[in-house]
Amino acid sequence: MKQPNLVATLSRREALYGLGTGIGSLAFSSLAQAENIHSVGGHHPAQAKRCIFLMMEGGPSHIDTFDPKPELDKRHLQRFKRSGERESAMSSGERYFVKSPFDFEKAGQCGADFSSEWHHLKNHADDMCFYRGCQVESVNHPTACYHLNTGNRFGGDPAVGAWVTYGLGTLNDNLPGFVVLPRASYPQGGASNWSNGFLPADYQGTPLRPQGSPILDLNPPAGMTRMDQRSNLDLLAKLNGKHFQKRSEQDELNARMSSYELAYRMQMEVPGILDLEGETEKTREAYGIGDGKTDSFGRKCLLARRLVEKGVRFVQAYAGNWDSHDYISRAHGSLIRSVDKPIAALLSDLKARGLLEDTLVVWCGEFGRTPDNGIRGGGTSYGRDHNPKAMTMWFAGGGTKAGHTIGATDEIGAEAVECIHHIRDVHCTWLNLLGLNDNKLTYYHAGRYKQLSQFGGEVIDELIA
Amino acid sequence: MYLRCLIVLVSFGHCAYSDEPTVGEKLFSLHIKPLFAEKCMACHGDEPEKIKSDFDMRTRNSMLHGGELFEDEVLIPGQGERSYLYILSSRVEEDLEMPPKQSDQLTDEETGWIRDWINDGAPWPDEQRIVEIQEKYAEGEKVVTSKALSEDWQNRRYESDKLWAYRPIKVDEVPEGKHPVDWFINQKLEELGLEKAPVASARELYRRLSFGLTGLPPLPSEVGDFEKEFKQSKQALSKHAKKLMASPHYGEHFARHWLDVARYADSGGFANDYSRPNAWRYRDYVVRAFHEDKPYNQFVMEQIAGDEMDSDKVENLVATGFLRMGPWEQTGMSVFKETRQLWLDDVTDSVGQAFLAHAMQCAKCHDHKFDPVPTRDYYGMMAVFSTTQLAERKAPFLPSESRDYFDSYSGLVQSKIAFYNQQNAELNEKMKRLRKEEKGRAKVGDNGLDPGDEASQSRIYKNLIRHKIELDRVEPLTHAVYTGKTIVRKNVQGRLELPETPWKKGYFDSDVIYSGGDVYSEGEAVEPSGLSAAESLGGMTVSPFPKGKGKRRLALAKWIVDEKNPLTARVMVNRIWSWHFGRGIAGNPNNFGGTGELPTHPGLLDFLANWFMENGWSVRKLNHLILSSQTYRRSSRHPDQKSVDKKDPKGISYARFLPRRLVAEEIRDAMLQVSGELNPRLGGIPSRPDINPEVAFQPRQIMGGTASVYEPDPLPEQRNRRTLYAEKLRGLRDPFLEAFNQPGSDASCELRESSTVAPQALTLLNAEEVHDRALAFASRLVKERKSESAVIYRAFELSLGRSPTREEVMACVARWKSATKSENKKKPTKPSYPRKIKRTVMAEKTGEPYDFWEFLPVFDWYQGDLQRSDADARTRGLAHVCLVLFNSNEFLYLD
Repeated sequence: MKQPNLVATLSRREALYGLGTGIGSLAFSSLAQAENIHSVGGHHPAQAKRCIFLMMEGGPSHIDTFDPKPELDKRHLQRFKRSGERESAMSSGERYFVKSPFDFEKAGQCGADFSSEWHHLKNHADDMCFYRGCQVESVNHPTACYHLNTGNRFGGDPAVGAWVTYGLGTLNDNLPGFVVLPRASYPQGGASNWSNGFLPADYQGTPLRPQGSPILDLNPPAGMTRMDQRSNLDLLAKLNGKHFQKRSEQDELNARMSSYELAYRMQMEVPGILDLEGETEKTREAYGIGDGKTDSFGRKCLLARRLVEKGVRFVQAYAGNWDSHDYISRAHGSLIRSVDKPIAALLSDLKARGLLEDTLVVWCGEFGRTPDNGIRGGGTSYGRDHNPKAMTMWFAGGGTKAGHTIGATDEIGAEAVECIHHIRDVHCTWLNLLGLNDNKLTYYHAGRYKQLSQFGGEVIDELIA
Repeated sequence: MYLRCLIVLVSFGHCAYSDEPTVGEKLFSLHIKPLFAEKCMACHGDEPEKIKSDFDMRTRNSMLHGGELFEDEVLIPGQGERSYLYILSSRVEEDLEMPPKQSDQLTDEETGWIRDWINDGAPWPDEQRIVEIQEKYAEGEKVVTSKALSEDWQNRRYESDKLWAYRPIKVDEVPEGKHPVDWFINQKLEELGLEKAPVASARELYRRLSFGLTGLPPLPSEVGDFEKEFKQSKQALSKHAKKLMASPHYGEHFARHWLDVARYADSGGFANDYSRPNAWRYRDYVVRAFHEDKPYNQFVMEQIAGDEMDSDKVENLVATGFLRMGPWEQTGMSVFKETRQLWLDDVTDSVGQAFLAHAMQCAKCHDHKFDPVPTRDYYGMMAVFSTTQLAERKAPFLPSESRDYFDSYSGLVQSKIAFYNQQNAELNEKMKRLRKEEKGRAKVGDNGLDPGDEASQSRIYKNLIRHKIELDRVEPLTHAVYTGKTIVRKNVQGRLELPETPWKKGYFDSDVIYSGGDVYSEGEAVEPSGLSAAESLGGMTVSPFPKGKGKRRLALAKWIVDEKNPLTARVMVNRIWSWHFGRGIAGNPNNFGGTGELPTHPGLLDFLANWFMENGWSVRKLNHLILSSQTYRRSSRHPDQKSVDKKDPKGISYARFLPRRLVAEEIRDAMLQVSGELNPRLGGIPSRPDINPEVAFQPRQIMGGTASVYEPDPLPEQRNRRTLYAEKLRGLRDPFLEAFNQPGSDASCELRESSTVAPQALTLLNAEEVHDRALAFASRLVKERKSESAVIYRAFELSLGRSPTREEVMACVARWKSATKSENKKKPTKPSYPRKIKRTVMAEKTGEPYDFWEFLPVFDWYQGDLQRSDADARTRGLAHVCLVLFNSNEFLYLD
C-alpha cells in the first residue's frame, strides 16, 4: 500500500518542479505516470495507440449475431434433460434447443457471417476480425463482467482501461485517460467494472454519465456562479499559500493546490467536448442521433470518437442489456438495431479521419449464449441462457487481422472447438496490440507483481495482422 | 589451460570428482538447480511433451544442444558472458527476456550465479553429489512445515532475514528510565546521523491527538486547556490522551480502523447485492470492544469462535459476524459447491490476513512461492472452517445496543413495500386483462402484454425480496455461524435458519487439498491446522486440532492467541503503530511474509508485542505507551529536511512526524462537527446520509431488474451521524468517500491510501453536501459571534484549531463582504423533494428502454438541512468563506 504513494509523490515533484511548467502541468489524473517507465509509449512498437471498447453487457448471443448454426434448425425444440453436481439451477433440468430466428448472410470480400438484423455493420466486414475461440469461467453477470473487465472474477482489480492508461499515460492533461460511457443504468457489479483496483487512483475510469452532470460535481450547485467560484478559489490559494510556506517539502500540498486549478479548467472544457451540436447534421445522422432507436448508443459512439481525438487513451462504451433469456427475436433484434448503425458510423468515421489504423476497436460481451433454453414459467420461449464456453468477439483497426474469422464453435454453438483461449490470453493480446506486454505491465501490490492476466497468458497470434 | 582442465574433469563425470566441490559445482547445487526448478522448468522440462522453443533444461547435454532460437550458443561452457542463457536471463535482449514474466525476473545476484557457473564450465553433478554439497554448504535456512506438494519445496531454504515473523519474540532490555519507544527509535536515528525535529506546537499536537484517537477535530476549549497544561508539563499529553480514550468516540474511531481490516459492509455484493440487515450489530460490537478495551486475545477468540466458546452469549454470536463479512451470494445461476468454496476461500484468507498477516490465498493452488507456507497449510486452515455454516441466529438485543430509529426505519420500508404491492396489484390486473394466448409452439412475446410491464413485474418481485430482507434489520437476529454439516442451498434470499440438529441433514465438506485450487479435483486428505512454520520456528507446542464434529474453530482461535504464537501480537501492535504513524514498523500490516517490507525497527516491534501481551493485550494501554513517547510528539517540520531526505529517503526514521491527509470519514465527520450538525449518538442501524443525488437515483442493475433507489434518512439527526454508521453497500458507493480513498469491502485493507486527483477538488468544491455543511457552519458562526473579525476568529478556531492571523482575517472578511454583495442579488428557492421519480431502464425481453415510476416514501417525511432559502445573504456570503476553509490544505492535513 505504500508503493503508490511513493511513486505519486516523486512524480509530482518531478512534474511540478522538474519540468518547470508549474501549475499547468498537473494532469487530470495526477502524475504517477510521469516517472513510470511504461509511459514512454509502451514496451514495443505497435500500431494501436488507443482503444475503444464496445462492451455488450448482458452476454450477446453469438448464434444470433455472427456465428450461424444451421444444425439448430434441425434440432429446434428437441427436448433433453441435464443434471449434475456442476450444474446450476439455471442450467439443469428439462431443456430444449432453440434455432436462431434470424437468417444469415455472408458479407464483404472475406465472406464474414452476419445475421440479417445487421444492415450497416456488414459493410465493414473486411475491416473486422471475428474471434470465436474465447472461453470464460463464470456464468454470472457480475463475476463474468469483472473477469472480462479486470481479469479477476471477484472484482477489486484494475480494469483493462486502467492498465492501458497506466502503461501508456495520457495524451491530454485536462481529461482523464480512461473514460467510461455507461448506460443510464449501471451494470451488475457497478463501478468496480472500471476500477483502478490497486493502481493509483489516477487510473480509475471516469464515467461520463448519459444523463445529468456528465462528471459528478463538475459544476457548482444551483445559485453559485462562476465568479463566486473564482473568488473562492483565490481566497483558497491565499490560505493554502501561507500554509505551504512552512511546509514546502510537502509536495502533496502543492499538488492539491494545482488540482483545484485543473478542476476549474475542466469545468470549462468538458462541456465543450460533450456537446455534439458542433458536429455536422450529416455526421449526427450517420451515427443515428435523433432516431429514438439508435440515439443513445449513437451518442456514445460519436462521443467516443471525439474523446479519442482529444487524446483520451481508452474509452469504454456500454450497450445492452443483451441478457435475452426470452424472446430472442424481439430482444436481440432491437438491440442489434440499436448498435448497428452507430458502430458502422464509428468505423467509417475513424477510417475517414485516418484514426482506424491506430485505434483498436473491441466488441464483446461477458460471455456468449447457449443453443438451448430451460423451461421457465411452464412454457418454452425463444431465448437462451448464459454460455461461458462459446462467444463471438470482434476487433477492428489497431493492427488486428482484418477480414478474418478466427476460431470456431461446434455445430450447435455450445462450445468453442478451434483456437480456444482463455480470457487471459485475450487480455494479453489486447495489451500486445497496444504495444504493452502483459508480463511487463506489472504493479507491485500486496507482496507480488500483479498483472492484468493475473498469472500470465499468451498472445493469440492469429488475431494480429 | 586451467579452464580446459576443469571442463575435462567435469565432463568425465563422477569418478573425476575431488572431495572439495568446485565453485561451479557449488553454484549449481546450491543455486542454479533450485533456480531452474523455480523459474525455468515450467516451460523447459517439467512437461516433456510441451517444451517451449524446443529448449530442454533437464540435462546438461540437452542444454548444450540448445533449442529452436539458439543452438550451441545457449550454453558455452567457460563463456558465461557469451552464453545466451545468461544474456536472455539478464533481460538485455528486447522481447526475449527470460523468464518472460517480469514478476519472475531474476535478480543481478541470480544472473551472476548463472554467469559464474558457466564460466566455471557449467558442471552438472549428479543427484547424490548435489545432496552432499547442499548439506555441507547451503546457506539460508530450512524450515520445518507440514508437508509440501513437492520435495524441492520441502527442502528449500529461506533467507534468514525474511523469516523474522516466525521467530520467537526477542525482547531487548531497555535501560531504566528510558522510554522504550524512544530508546529504539533514537538508536536508529543515531545510526543514520539524524537530528530529531523539535516538539510540535501544543495546538498541532492536540489536533493530531484528537484526530488520532477519536477521528474528530478538537473543540477550541480543549485546545486552550491543553496548550496551557502542556506549557507546564509534557505529562499533559498523557492525561489528555487518557481522557480522549475514555470517550466513546475513541471506540468508534478504532472500530473504523478494524472494520477496514474486517472488510465490513452492509450488503453482500455481486448480482443482487442484497442487504446484510444485521451486519451493523457486528460493527457496534467492534466499537464496544475498543471502547471497553476488551483484551485483544479475547476479541480474536470471539470473532473466530464465539459460538463455540459459549453460544448463549449474544456478544459471542454477534462477534462471529467477522467470518461472514466477505462478499458472498448464492443465486440460481451459481453452483452451490462453488459458492461454498468461495466462502471458505474468503474466510481462510481473511483470517490469515487479519490475525496472522498472511495472505493465505497465495498458497491455495501451489506451495507458497516465497514463504514457508505449503498448500497443505492452506487447506489445513480451510478445514478448520469446513464444518462452519452460515445462519441468521437469534440474539436478543443487549442493553448496550442502540435501538434508535427502529420504528421510523421499519415504517419507511413498509411503505416502500406497500407501494410495490399496490403497483404489483395494478400490474397484475392490467396484465390479466391484456394477456392473449400465444400461438406458436414457442413463445416469442406475442402475448399481448406491454414488455415494460413484464419487466416491472420481475423488478417489483426482486425489490420486494430486497425490502423484506431489510425488515430484518430491526429483528433480534445476527449474522452468525454454527458448527454442523453442510446443507446445499440453491438460492439464498434472506435468512438462513439455524437447523435444530446441525449434524443430521447435509454432508461433510471434504477436508482435502484441491489440486490446483479446483474444487472438483480432490487430492490428499488434510486435517485442521494452523501455520506449520509458525509452530516450528516459533517453538509453539501444539496439540492436534479436533476433527469430525469437534470445535475446530475454537482450537484455531486458541492457537492464534497462544502467547507463543510469534505472529499474533506482532501483527496487532504493528497495526496500532500504523494507525498512529501512518506506516507500520513492518511496512505491510497484512503481509509479514518474505514479500512484505521487513520491519524498520524489529527490536521495537518485538518489545511492543511482548509488552502488549504482558499488559493484558490492552490496546488502550499500548496506545498510551506509544503516545507518551517523544517520537509521537515530534513536529512534522524538520529544521534540516534536506539531510532527512538524504539520509532517510524512505521516511522511516521518525526524525519528524509524518504529516497525513485526513481519511474520507474524518473529512466528513470533521465538517459535521465544525458545522455543529453532528449527531454524536452511538451505534444502531445504518444511517443513510445524503449522497450525491445523481448517484442515489442512478439506476443500478441487479439480477432480474433494477434496484430501488437510494433514499436518505428523513431527519437531519439520522443523516448527520458519524460516517462509520453510514450504510456501506458494496454495489453503491458514496462518491465523496470513494474520491477520498475509502477502500471497497471486497478484501481486507491494511492501510489507507491517499491520492490527489481532480475529482477530489470537484467534490469538495461543488458537492451539495459540502455546501450544506458550509452553510450550516456559517449559520452557527453568525449566531455565536457578532463582529466580523470575531466570526472569522471563531471559524478558524473551530475548523483549524487555531486563531487566524490579521492578514487572514482581512482576506476572509473581504471575501465575506464581496460574497454577501453577490448573494444579495440572488433569490434562492426552496428545494423540492420528489415523491416519485420516473426511471428508465432496458427491458430484457425487448431490448428496448421503458419507463416506470418509483415512489419515494421517505420524501413525505424528509426534513432538509438548513437551506440557502432559509438563510440571509450575509450568512450565505459567509458560507463561501466556510467552504474555502473546508477546502483548505490545513483543514485536510494533520501536522
